[in-house]
Amino acid sequence: MEEMLFIRTEVVPALARGIIVSIQLIIPSSALGLLVGMAVGAARVYGNRSLTFAANCYVAIFRGFPLVVQLFIWYFGLPYIGIYMTPYVAAVLGFSLCSGAYHSEYIRGAFLSIKQGQLMAAKALGFSHVGMLIHVIFPQAFRRALPGCGNEIVYLIKYSSLAYMITCIELTGEGKIIASETFKYIEIFLIIGAVYLFLTTIASWFLRRLENRLSIPGFKPFSV
Amino acid sequence: MGKRILWALALLTAVFILTNATYSMAAEKIYINGIDANFPPFAYVDKKGNADGFDVKALDWIAKEMGFKVEHKPMDWDGIIPSLRAKKIDIIASGMSITDKRKEQVNFTIPYWNIAQVIVAPKDSTATVDELLSKGNKIGVQRGTTEARWIKENLIAKGKNFSLVEYDSAPLSVEDVLNGRIKGAAMDDAPAKDAVNKKPVRIVGTFGMPSEDFGYAVRKEDSELLKKLDEGLKKLMASPYWNELKRKYNP
Amino acid sequence: MIESLTILAGALPYLLKGSVVTIGVVFGAMSLGLLFGIALAVGQVYGAIWLKRLIGLYVWFFRGVPLLVLLFLFYFGLFSLLNINLTAFTVAVIVLGLISAAYQSQIFRGAIVSLPDGQLKAARALGMSDATAIVLIILPQALRLAIPAWSNEYSIVLKDSAVAYALGVTEIMARAHFVASRTYQHLPLYFTAGVIFLILTYAGTKALRLLEERVHIPGYSQ
Repeated sequence: MEEMLFIRTEVVPALARGIIVSIQLIIPSSALGLLVGMAVGAARVYGNRSLTFAANCYVAIFRGFPLVVQLFIWYFGLPYIGIYMTPYVAAVLGFSLCSGAYHSEYIRGAFLSIKQGQLMAAKALGFSHVGMLIHVIFPQAFRRALPGCGNEIVYLIKYSSLAYMITCIELTGEGKIIASETFKYIEIFLIIGAVYLFLTTIASWFLRRLENRLSIPGFKPFSV
Repeated sequence: MGKRILWALALLTAVFILTNATYSMAAEKIYINGIDANFPPFAYVDKKGNADGFDVKALDWIAKEMGFKVEHKPMDWDGIIPSLRAKKIDIIASGMSITDKRKEQVNFTIPYWNIAQVIVAPKDSTATVDELLSKGNKIGVQRGTTEARWIKENLIAKGKNFSLVEYDSAPLSVEDVLNGRIKGAAMDDAPAKDAVNKKPVRIVGTFGMPSEDFGYAVRKEDSELLKKLDEGLKKLMASPYWNELKRKYNP
Repeated sequence: MIESLTILAGALPYLLKGSVVTIGVVFGAMSLGLLFGIALAVGQVYGAIWLKRLIGLYVWFFRGVPLLVLLFLFYFGLFSLLNINLTAFTVAVIVLGLISAAYQSQIFRGAIVSLPDGQLKAARALGMSDATAIVLIILPQALRLAIPAWSNEYSIVLKDSAVAYALGVTEIMARAHFVASRTYQHLPLYFTAGVIFLILTYAGTKALRLLEERVHIPGYSQ
């Protein structure tokens, strides 16, 4: 009985609080990450030499450093040079910049897959530079990049579990605190695992639906 | 060639798992002491990468005196009791406070150190403890510590107007005090003194939490080991080495 | 600045020794993932329907739950419950290996499926059993095709292994923390840890690239 009361008054509210924070981390980070990825991806394909070089360096560093290390640098490292961020901002920034680097890989690949001939044809039809980008390149590139970027978003949902290490206490952090107070590791981490499984499953399902919805007969997205 | 590589890998994996499995069945029992290596001066990792600190050296002395072997292993603090119960380690000698809640899980030796909990703030701040624990201020604390639980139950739950930020370790919370993200950090007085020696922070004072005793923790069923540790502690505290340790680590 | 550099120089050998632990974790996990991943892939392509479903379930689970949650679950929960006593290092290898097996199985499955159908039929016509054909004909080609994707998986496992510090595995990240707790030099230490990972990623992918060229079959591409 006491057990039930404990679950109702402590475990459930804490996990609910954690889920909300997790979702508040995941949604802006994936949106921002995609934006960063598009900008960097475009810069790597269409930018001039120095821009391409800078973008490549960014991708090499952010794909080469483990995410945990990046988060610690954002949160505990940057104050050394006078930049202070709240745990939440540091986490969202860390997630966005890291996943942006990965997104840019898929987006770059998608841009490159569009044949030069199409661009010439568009020019011949009188499209402006911007018009060509919006009406010819983006619709195709978006469809091609979608499977990769979708995967990256699913990764992000899982990696959001690292935010508690820089004191942004989300689902995993709340779980860890309760588990270390109650010593009920198995029960609590099974519940938490189930929540993440639910989130990643929904996200993949939604992304697959989006892919099918957008698919054009005869237009083949990459098979990676 | 590919097939040979695969076989080699399979063999290596098998060897790897076997060596790890037999490792724990080695002929002579070596007791593993789990430490929080982010807890100077009681337990930390020295320049060469060896475990060091007040508790580490004290336990080494006891082991030698009582005739057993001990090895120190850095562990994640807020999971250290489950690690003990799961036999990943055999002893926790790393500034662990004796509490009733923990006593339900593990057995403690006789107390060897009395410790007060204090608040640390930047050196140039003039705030008192009461001022720090009000006005919606943020106060840091290490996750999974007795002070974290006590503050939640006795200050925040009773309406004190401040919030708690939970860190991996006490030094990280000191770091954020200096960064100005939090107004102060609550911790044991020994690591607080260590921080004062190394960083521009000061100890503001205690915050009403009753002082606690440190003891070594062992599994409930390991009564033999507990007896050895108790006896060893008594001998150590009666010996001149005890004062030498206190001078050296200044806990 | 000078102070940071001297501390860093003093701590570097200690951090570098951590990379031996990191490499140990990654090597163990990748090997486990490779062997188990191949088995899963073969099962998923050629197995009976119930086996395919079962493997699908496995892949779904290990790709859907965060590494950290699985580490805690296995370390504090599962193995204790089964009364198996494993070190944090071994648990990290097993968990990273099981997750990687789920991802690697999809890499190998893709590679197997990309091979022309006729090959298996031709092998049967030559009197090979299916098992022999898979081992001698299909896998040697599929594994070659899988190297680029596998190299990507290596860099992911390498970086994920940093999370194992949360269990107390004394790899690079954990060591950076320990030194930082003593010296309060957080930024230089974390940055150095990151650079060590960067070098390990680069060296590993470069080696795999060389392997890819070495085992490349002339005139053969995907």
